[in-house]
Amino acid sequence: MSMILEAAGLVFQPYVLLVIFASAAFGMFVGAIPGLTATMATALLVPVTFFMEPVPAIAAIVTATAMAIFAGDIPGTLLRMPGTPASAAYVQDAYALTRKGRPETALGASLVFSSLGGIFGTLVLITASPILAEVALKFSSFEYFWLVVLGLSCAVFISPGSPARGLISLFIGLFAATIGLENPAGEPRYTFGNVELMGGVQFIPAMIGLFAVSEVIRAFIHRGTDEKPPPTGKRGIFREQARNLTRYPVQALRGSVLGTAIGALPGAGADIAAWISYAVSKKFSKTPEKFGSGHVEGLVESGSSNNGAMSGAWIPALVFGIPGDSITAIVIGVLYIKGINPGPMVFITQPQMIYAVFIVFLVANLMMLPLGWLAIKGARQVLSIPQRVLMPLILMFCMVGSFAINNSVFGIWLMFVFGIIGFLMEENDIPIAPAILGLVLGPMLEQNFVTSMIKSDGSFIAFFERPIAAGLGLFTIAVWCLPLILVLVRRKAQPSGTQSTQGN
Amino acid sequence: MRVTDLTLGLLTLLGGIAIYISALGFKAIPGQAYGAGTMPRAIALVTVLTGIFLIFKAALAGERVPGLVLADWTRQRGPMARAASVLVLIVVYIMISPIVGFLPTAFVVMVLAMLVLRVRLLIAAPVALVAAIAIQQSFGKLLLVPLPRSSFLTFLW
Repeated sequence: MSMILEAAGLVFQPYVLLVIFASAAFGMFVGAIPGLTATMATALLVPVTFFMEPVPAIAAIVTATAMAIFAGDIPGTLLRMPGTPASAAYVQDAYALTRKGRPETALGASLVFSSLGGIFGTLVLITASPILAEVALKFSSFEYFWLVVLGLSCAVFISPGSPARGLISLFIGLFAATIGLENPAGEPRYTFGNVELMGGVQFIPAMIGLFAVSEVIRAFIHRGTDEKPPPTGKRGIFREQARNLTRYPVQALRGSVLGTAIGALPGAGADIAAWISYAVSKKFSKTPEKFGSGHVEGLVESGSSNNGAMSGAWIPALVFGIPGDSITAIVIGVLYIKGINPGPMVFITQPQMIYAVFIVFLVANLMMLPLGWLAIKGARQVLSIPQRVLMPLILMFCMVGSFAINNSVFGIWLMFVFGIIGFLMEENDIPIAPAILGLVLGPMLEQNFVTSMIKSDGSFIAFFERPIAAGLGLFTIAVWCLPLILVLVRRKAQPSGTQSTQGN
Repeated sequence: MRVTDLTLGLLTLLGGIAIYISALGFKAIPGQAYGAGTMPRAIALVTVLTGIFLIFKAALAGERVPGLVLADWTRQRGPMARAASVLVLIVVYIMISPIVGFLPTAFVVMVLAMLVLRVRLLIAAPVALVAAIAIQQSFGKLLLVPLPRSSFLTFLW
């Protein structure tokens, strides 16, 4: 109890609350701008958090992310331009509601169910993390190896497009992670004599390039539209939500549970959670034909899911030190800088810090309601800024952000190269998320792989000798085999389905 | 600008082979069989397998010659030039900002970018000026990021 009070004391300070409020506003702004993602909001915040104590630094990131994920729904609803990839899952329905003159219904559902999903995910985080941390204390390099491989496999197989393209994306990330001196033998790899490359590919400029610069190039090609958002309507944003909650309680709960579970998988985040929940909602809906034509059901489920995933993603990040998605990947970097090494030991050595993170999560998700209401009201002004004016400013922001990480133009060069790679990848339907995860998890994968190989003297059987490692290994292999099994099941089901149709 | 499955498969295969060959020269940890080359070789092997899978899949689909499918925008001069302008403007910023300083370079780069997107100069110039000063003040002054200084604008730092 004293730990919780100590943690509350760390959070409920005027300075921390001010940071939460400011980062909420920042997250809202970034999330509301199409093309800038919640990950981008986090990336741009990192240089600012360098100057903060650990708790306000974490508070800033958590709040900005939660807000950005919700705010991504605003341009999606009003302009059919999803602010974040997570919002893209249900943009069709949200925009259809706007065209029917009911944007406040869509935005209200997004806001309320994002908040509910986030609170659910936080409660799971609070209860599950300490238990998992005790289990994780027994983990060796074999278990960590399988956890990383599982995370990377999920990122490949869950991402949109074919698994082969997902794999190519993953290899790009893993290969980029091999560059530099940081490897078991301490030998410079693929540095071509460049001193800056000795330190490896910096994550933030690479990510800004892959996500933001590629988007800027696309906006320049298609010369951004200047579509004006419609008015947000006079009806109350919250008015219909009580009815939605009583009408779709199962969907809200299922979205929250699924979102949190997907978020908790290392490698899968809010974007994937939103897509899967939307698909699940449609699959189990009594009125699947209404999906895409302005139906709130899918919005309720995937809205709960994406913010649930955001909280869930912190479970592997805090317990194992393995990022659940690209946002927690950045957070892990920040935690290391602050002297906190995420992993099971942090629950023993700095429990007040963990409780402070939990409190921050609850505060952020509760603050989302009033701040979200303000954001919806002010959205029209933000969205009225023409893309043609906004994109050059974003480009400049990207360059300064990439420079600020190491105070070197090398960061901008990295951003430049990864911007081109990201653009070409998206042109070829190669998803970007696996590359990001590969880049972040690459060093951890290598360390645990090489350590395990040395320990086992090259025997792969040792990877399955410990019970948890065997369980994780078999589960990972099942994930690999899943596409093949699905193809076989479909082939087997097809002839009987044809027969029954013929019979009818 | 989309490559076909066969082309993507061939590129992946070649990439995997190149990584494998380059990784052969990396040293192992002294006294061990594994080291700096282990991970790149493992990546290379799976990359090669993915490449072969894609080639096989393309062959099954009847694709015989590697190809490139050009998007509509690649056939027009305007969109191509605008895409190139983003890259040119980044290089211009990298090259010029250490010499001239952040503010003038950022201003010029943003104005040029807006002109490329057909924003009128009367709007582009003041917006770029305000944005450049805002970024310099927030990053340069508040967060102490050492953005390149301009000798004639030191009062802003």
